[in-house]
Amino acid sequence: METNSSGMSGKSLLRWFMVVLAVAAVIAVFALQKPTPRRYPDRIAVHFWHRWGGEWAKVVDNICQRYNESQTKYEVIPLGVSGGSDIKFRLGVLGGDAPDVMSMWNGAIPDMADNGLLADLETLMSPADKEYFFNQSYPVVRDSGIVKGKVVGVTIGSDLFALYVNVDQIRAAGLDPDKMPTTLEGMCDWGEKLTKRDKSGNITRLGFLLGQFDYLAYSFGDGFWDEASQSVNLNTADNRRALSAIAAYRKRLGADQVQRFQAGLNSGSDTGGWPFITGELTITLDGQWRVEEIRKYAKKMNYRVIPLPPPAVDGRKDGSNLAGNFMIIPTTAKQKEGAWDFIRFWCGFSNPEASAQCYNDGGWIPLSPRVVQTQTFQKWLKENPQFQTFLNIVESKNCRPLPPVPYLQYLLDRISKTEDRTNRGEVTPEKAMAILEKDVKREIAKRKELGYAR
Amino acid sequence: MGWAFISPWVIGFLIFTAGPFLRSIYLSFTRYNISAPPKWVGLAKDRMLFTDDELFWKSSLVTIKFAVISVPLTVALGVGLALLLNQSVKGMAVFRTIFFLPSIVPTVATTVMFLWILNPTTGLINRILQAFRVVGPAWLSDSTWAFWTFVMMSLWGVGGSMVIYLAGLKDVPAYLYEAAVIDGAGPFQRLKNITLPMVTPVVFFNLVMSIIGAFQYFTQPYMMTPTGGPQDSTHFYSLYLFNRAWKYLDMGYASAMAWVLFVVVVGLTAIVLKTQHKWVHYGN
Repeated sequence: METNSSGMSGKSLLRWFMVVLAVAAVIAVFALQKPTPRRYPDRIAVHFWHRWGGEWAKVVDNICQRYNESQTKYEVIPLGVSGGSDIKFRLGVLGGDAPDVMSMWNGAIPDMADNGLLADLETLMSPADKEYFFNQSYPVVRDSGIVKGKVVGVTIGSDLFALYVNVDQIRAAGLDPDKMPTTLEGMCDWGEKLTKRDKSGNITRLGFLLGQFDYLAYSFGDGFWDEASQSVNLNTADNRRALSAIAAYRKRLGADQVQRFQAGLNSGSDTGGWPFITGELTITLDGQWRVEEIRKYAKKMNYRVIPLPPPAVDGRKDGSNLAGNFMIIPTTAKQKEGAWDFIRFWCGFSNPEASAQCYNDGGWIPLSPRVVQTQTFQKWLKENPQFQTFLNIVESKNCRPLPPVPYLQYLLDRISKTEDRTNRGEVTPEKAMAILEKDVKREIAKRKELGYAR
Repeated sequence: MGWAFISPWVIGFLIFTAGPFLRSIYLSFTRYNISAPPKWVGLAKDRMLFTDDELFWKSSLVTIKFAVISVPLTVALGVGLALLLNQSVKGMAVFRTIFFLPSIVPTVATTVMFLWILNPTTGLINRILQAFRVVGPAWLSDSTWAFWTFVMMSLWGVGGSMVIYLAGLKDVPAYLYEAAVIDGAGPFQRLKNITLPMVTPVVFFNLVMSIIGAFQYFTQPYMMTPTGGPQDSTHFYSLYLFNRAWKYLDMGYASAMAWVLFVVVVGLTAIVLKTQHKWVHYGN
């Protein structure tokens, strides 16, 4: 065999050459890759981070594109950072590479505001903007973005819950969907009648389930926030009543069977596999974005959306709490004016008609009734009449913002744990509420001792 | 010149491993939520951890219980499988591959697969049980079963250690068996007096690695029961640490927890190291 001076055959030289070539090609592909060129390179760039992925990201991209086409000064460049988005935002701000504007879950906002990461949006508002924001928006939506008197977030898509009702299944069970129960207790009775089981007693279809303590509490009373004292409400008589109702109804349906049935359900969002669409749930409490999901995946489904009826005694009609995506601008943003211009476009400050299209694309609740009154929104509402229920709820005085506390995530986790603990029969509702209060008070004390915001 | 060649690794190690490691010592004595600079609070958090945090003790107990059960099980199963796969049977390479394959599947993919097969109504396991008229449990949402489900899953990746045991078995000199056979030793005696003692160095290595792995068990519980599972039965220590750090943004507290974990793992490893002269045979 022919060899060179180093003793290598021609074949192995060729092999080595191919390996080096392959490595060089890989490096070249990654190192020389250019980012997608900007569509409007002459304009001022406004970097927008959002929390959506998949199909939802396309909706957001379209909105950004419409904004970019609507004016000639700025170019909004969207970037999806779903998963740990609040951490990414904080690291971006502290690392000196913050976006100019970001959509954020409103639960994360109070802590960011307390730590001075968020710009006061009121300073960017014109007198007309202030009029629109303070006097023409839904009070609960507006207030959800205000922390300690400072406007730090403006909604681009609030979320509310209501009951989705499968009309065909109700008729098949011999019930009249035009005479839905008007009390929570009546709804529970219906739920029991609509629940189907197999020979072994296992649930194969759940009629209605009372749950989501963090939400239901607002149908029984003030929920988890006391506006007057600006402190969290925990072990109150109303909250105990709400938790007891959840636990009692679970027991009635068979707590083990319910738990088993729920564990087997598909929880995937925006995949068409939602158990209400697949017929495994007859009446279920869910968010307003499902209207758009049904339109997409089950256009012919015969369904209605109604508000959760209040309890017969001392109930609060349309009791609910509001969460969702709020636009925030970091204090370190390089392009605050551009960011605010984009927010104005999306939220309807500048053009409610164009804003309506943004909210309709995602099936979100807008900031202001002025957006709802536009032709675009009304046309969409005609096609999706079930959405009206959510618009009624958002106007209710019983619809409240989430508690504006910096330890909100901890609070919500503990509330959820309390519900789970009671449903499993581990402790009585009274005991569970006492534990919840003790846990949260301890956390507050810890935060106080360590010097965190409370 | 040598340093120049390994400099990419050294620089990476200093910046991404040693740096954060040392920094976390400092952070463990501070309150730090990313948004504001760390502020020194001394041992306040350690006192809170030990005297005022039920979940710290709960998650510690879950993790210790898991380590006590899963570590011996994985060692026993790994050695057992290696012994079986050390036989001279036709198609052995195929069997070895089959048992080794699960250990090279990424953990996230394996966990998603388990989420499917453990679904109480549509999952493969309960479907099989149903064929035998057995009603399978709600594996991950029943507090009686959730913990044991993770123990069961921990055995899935035993193929990785099995290969090391197998290599250890191949290293046992044949003359020892020949001599034993001449002396009239049966298969069980050969296993007890030759095979097992000769693979103890490998068992020792795997034992240490398994203890460390068990105390750091995270990915599966994070993906399957991110809030700690039914009645906190799967609230593993690392999961609680992660939630404290990234969900509640209490980096100082999480750093203190990480150092408690480090001390425990180092302590246990030291104990195992100390006992090795009593049971590990290095053939000398």
